[in-house]
Amino acid sequence: MIRTPLRPLARILDARRRGENPDAIERENLRLRHEELRDHARRRAEGRLLVLGLVFLCAYSVIGARMAHVAATEPAEPRTAQARAPIVAQRADIVDRQGRILATNLETHSLYAQPPLMVDPRGAAHALAQIFPDLDEKELVEDFTGKRKFLWIKRKLSPEQKQAVHDIGEPGLLFGPREMRLYPNGRLAAHVLGGAGFGREGVHAAEVVGVAGVELEFDDMLRDPAREAAPLALSLDVSVQAAVEQVLYGGMKMMNAKGASAILMDAHSGELLSIVSLPDFDPNDRPRPPVAGRPSDSPLFNRALQGVYELGSTFKIFTVAQAMELNLVTPDTVIDTRPPFKVGGHRIGEFENHNYKDISVEEIIIKSSNRGTGKIALMVGKERQQEFLRQLGFFTPVPLEMAEAAGGRPLLPAKWTDLSAVTISYGHGLSTTPLHLAAGYAAIANGGYLVKPTLLRQPGPKYGARVISAEVAAASRQMLRKVVTEGTASFAEVPGYQVAGKTGTADKPIETGGGYYKDKVIATFAAMFPADAPRYVLVLMLDEPVETSGDKPRRSAGWTAVPVAAEVIRRAAPLLGLRPVVEPQVRAGITLSSSR
Amino acid sequence: MSYLEYTVKYVPTGPRKILYLNWPIALLLLSVGCVGFLMLYSVAGGSLQPWAEPQMKRFAAGFVLMLVIAMVPIWFWRNVAALAYAISVALLFAVELFGEVGMGAQRWIDLGFMRLQPSELAKITLVMLLAAYYDWLPIKKVSHPLWVALPVFFILLPTALVVIQPDLGTSLLLVFAGAAVMFVAGVHWAYFAAVIAAGIGVVVAVFKSRGTSWQLLKDYQYRRIDTFLDPSQDPLNAGYHITQSKIALGSGGWSGKGFMQGTQSRLNFLPEKHTDFIFTTLAEEFGFVGAASLLTLYALIIVFCINTAITNKDRFSALLTIGIAVTFFLFFAVNMLMVMGLAPVVGVPLPLVSYGGSAMLVLLAAFGMMQSAHIHKPR
Repeated sequence: MIRTPLRPLARILDARRRGENPDAIERENLRLRHEELRDHARRRAEGRLLVLGLVFLCAYSVIGARMAHVAATEPAEPRTAQARAPIVAQRADIVDRQGRILATNLETHSLYAQPPLMVDPRGAAHALAQIFPDLDEKELVEDFTGKRKFLWIKRKLSPEQKQAVHDIGEPGLLFGPREMRLYPNGRLAAHVLGGAGFGREGVHAAEVVGVAGVELEFDDMLRDPAREAAPLALSLDVSVQAAVEQVLYGGMKMMNAKGASAILMDAHSGELLSIVSLPDFDPNDRPRPPVAGRPSDSPLFNRALQGVYELGSTFKIFTVAQAMELNLVTPDTVIDTRPPFKVGGHRIGEFENHNYKDISVEEIIIKSSNRGTGKIALMVGKERQQEFLRQLGFFTPVPLEMAEAAGGRPLLPAKWTDLSAVTISYGHGLSTTPLHLAAGYAAIANGGYLVKPTLLRQPGPKYGARVISAEVAAASRQMLRKVVTEGTASFAEVPGYQVAGKTGTADKPIETGGGYYKDKVIATFAAMFPADAPRYVLVLMLDEPVETSGDKPRRSAGWTAVPVAAEVIRRAAPLLGLRPVVEPQVRAGITLSSSR
Repeated sequence: MSYLEYTVKYVPTGPRKILYLNWPIALLLLSVGCVGFLMLYSVAGGSLQPWAEPQMKRFAAGFVLMLVIAMVPIWFWRNVAALAYAISVALLFAVELFGEVGMGAQRWIDLGFMRLQPSELAKITLVMLLAAYYDWLPIKKVSHPLWVALPVFFILLPTALVVIQPDLGTSLLLVFAGAAVMFVAGVHWAYFAAVIAAGIGVVVAVFKSRGTSWQLLKDYQYRRIDTFLDPSQDPLNAGYHITQSKIALGSGGWSGKGFMQGTQSRLNFLPEKHTDFIFTTLAEEFGFVGAASLLTLYALIIVFCINTAITNKDRFSALLTIGIAVTFFLFFAVNMLMVMGLAPVVGVPLPLVSYGGSAMLVLLAAFGMMQSAHIHKPR
């Protein structure tokens, strides 16, 4: 920037020559310079103002345009359903094999309060406490008059309760729709269904999530909107399940047992038609898990597939079947069952110290000889025995479609010695669930095939690998039939339905270790019917039964589990569509003479 | 260039000053005030109580205050600018220490006869101080970094105090009004460009960082931004105001439902219908025509302000006028944008229309100073 000097020498000298004050020139120049600077600043400020004015203009245009736009649009009420993550409340029904409802949804309402909207909090609290006696009026008053802006009061209301609350006329009490899970049959199949609770909760909806049983196992599927609430069909049959539960409950009471379980399974498809564990609960009001005591004593505990027990003599048929499969014995092979029979330093005894002497293999099953079975097991050998039991699925939890099934892990001996082989041959030293036993018996019942137990309805028979030949299976069934007709399970004879089966009575091990109780047993009856071509397998187990009608208490399965099982079959067989086989009556007076 | 450097040919004295008042602006202010009375009357369901009558009294008091201030020579106001600024900053400190909490924010000091909102005062005193500062500062030094840093500090001090109250709307107003004065005073444009670029950078960083490990804001703050960008996501909570006010605006249509016929605002759908959201009532009852008319009134006020600023050779007067005009502009622009869903809900009243004492009194006092600048300008 070229600046004019304030005191240009020529002009100063010139002024001096003319006798003028040279300072005037400086003042004049200073003033000019100031004016120049000021004009510059003014121009700049005016430019800046112009820019500012443009910004204003832009803002005006935006406001004006927006105003016109809003004025031109049709007002639309906001839609609350547009929430970003809608809570899906539609849950599919669960039905039995014939489409009858086991679990469905019911529209109810929940009650919540918004204290800021309340007109008369004290009056409302008083009225609520009268409608719901379980609510505390004092607490309600505190909640309503405190700082809280929102609180839940009741999760589910009946229509009568809702009307009563509505009649209070308090604007701060509000209702939200609640879809709740309903099990219309109450306790029926409680353990299978499990139960459901609320997951994410909003004012307008709440998620229903499964907490146990198939509700938990199939939770994602039941909630999957893509399935459009297509019901989940189980293999259960409501009427059979009801009959089995009813009979089992009566039997449990009659036999003074503390628990019981029954499994009725289709031997060809593995479908479970009924699975019961007692004591049970109401899934509509599922109890909380116990905090004290043994979990196995809780009604939530499923004895059929979570409880592992030594199931006793019911195992003998597996030992004998395997020996027959290996051609080591035939039903007629005679085995010496006299004492002493010592394995690994242990003396093997018989029930009530019987001595059956020389008996055939068939009689070993019929009379349930421990020593006889043990000797056969030693003939088979522990390695082959293990392999066979592994094939039958006794070493791993049953892969049933229930969250709880994984809990039924069998207890195996730490080291499989000869003694283990002998005791396991008659069902001691290996603890499994009743469901394992049912699956094993199904292989004998269906002619030698493995089946996988399932809770889902199957279209037809579904066989797995063959484990024993059809002939061996048939021979085994014949022995089991004779157990009923001639042996320990004589009470299992049901008129019209031929039952085959094997009893098992096992002393319960003391939980703290160190031997077995003398007076606590697990009584089991594993059966199949009809005996000539079995379609169903029934495993019935009583926990600590005592039959007291005689002069001394009787605990053996033949006296406890078998009569209950017979009643179950008598009631369930017609429901399963089995026709009774009526023996031709011998006419009175026309007696054929015996040729014998 | 300061006032004293001009040769003042004529300065009106005594009652004659009233003749030199900027009458167009005074009349425009009066008409805007009347629009406010009408709306408050309508919002109350056709009643002077509880809002219209107190508003009238306060407006009358404010108008008298404006005239009184206008009579005081402008150089007096320049000389007390620094003091006024210091007082308002001290009040902001005071409100922080023992102010009352209203609507979740600490903003008031109870003076007994009225509740003073020091942040309102600060808007004007900040503009005064900046105008006086650039009046005092030789023009050559305006863009010197040191002499730029000083006014920036003047702006940021009250802004910081207002932000922690918290009152985001007022703090933004302070920043923008201060920046506008600096801009018109001739600070080099590169400073503004740098600040704008930095601002954009911060916004981009905030959005880019979302969901990453170095996320700059809390999740709930992002959700608020989401709600602002799309209020229909959350129509019952954070988006409620906006959704309802948009319904009111839309239902007004072009010519409106007619005076006292608005439903959306009078049926209590809108909270704060008599304060920040009063524009919705206007738009609903008088439609686009009414809303655009009010906008025109405001625009005319701004135009007259700019006009008097350009014709005023005194630097303090010009800058003060511009600063007041920008503050006023920001008031109604932010409020309207907010009501129409183009700006976040920050709690800025519609100037001279919304019910409220402090804001109106302070605005009228500011216009009083502007009038004083107009009366006492070098002729």
